[in-house]
Amino acid sequence: MNVLTFFDTDAGAAEAPSVDDVQAVTEDVWLSLLGEQEVLVPRLVPPGTPFDALGVWSAVASISGGWQGVVTIELADSVARPVTAHMLDIPAGTDATDSDVADAVGELVNMIGGNIKSLMPGPSALSLPSVAAGRAVFASDLVEACRVDISWRGEPVRVCIHVPH
Amino acid sequence: MKILIADDSRVMRQIVIRTLRQAGHGGHDIVEAENGREALEKVQTESPDLVLSDWNMPEMNGIDCLAALRASGSTVAFGFVTSEGSDEMRQRAESAGAAFLIAKPFTPEAFDDALRTVL
Repeated sequence: MNVLTFFDTDAGAAEAPSVDDVQAVTEDVWLSLLGEQEVLVPRLVPPGTPFDALGVWSAVASISGGWQGVVTIELADSVARPVTAHMLDIPAGTDATDSDVADAVGELVNMIGGNIKSLMPGPSALSLPSVAAGRAVFASDLVEACRVDISWRGEPVRVCIHVPH
Repeated sequence: MKILIADDSRVMRQIVIRTLRQAGHGGHDIVEAENGREALEKVQTESPDLVLSDWNMPEMNGIDCLAALRASGSTVAFGFVTSEGSDEMRQRAESAGAAFLIAKPFTPEAFDDALRTVL
């Protein structure tokens, strides 16, 4: 489980990227890694709904400096493993290891986070990703500013941006 | 030609190697490093012709690795492959002596265009 807290709350808390920006960045990353034929479909999920997959991987990267925020991705295990296999070019029928999945999911949030950082006021620094087998949980000093729920091959993926209060 | 790929993610190193191949640069010798410090050491021991480095890495990041290389007198061609492609990062990379910055996500065409500037 990823538990997140930190931040100097004095700077850069008000702004947040738009849903359209986060969705576009996520689709760019996804399609570049998996191919143009892999479609991400928007999901209508009521606000406040926990990520609803049974097996979940999560990864977070924080941005600090001119803008401050936390970028999170949560994926169903049934998404994370085939995505990892594709990224590593693992032959069909061979399973990705947990270590490989952690590496791949971390790289996903690193790419999405880096691109989000580029959209926001700087200069800022992007942290190394933190990956967990389990949902992300956020401390009370963070508030959700933007959430994109999508599905890939019918399985859920969520990208969230949290900012300090 | 020998290319040193520095990235803390094994997945990303594999993707970079695959993309080099897709870009028509698959015939080169490849050496890998897991962070900037290891890359710094392997520039000395392996004498690569080009370093392709992530920016954000544990132990030593890419920009500190490049600074250390230049401070030691190394003129090895150095390019970043990083998720952070803002103008500010590109200016920092260029000022430190990088030949190019390829932003993730990338295409084989982006690799080919960048590598042609140093090959």
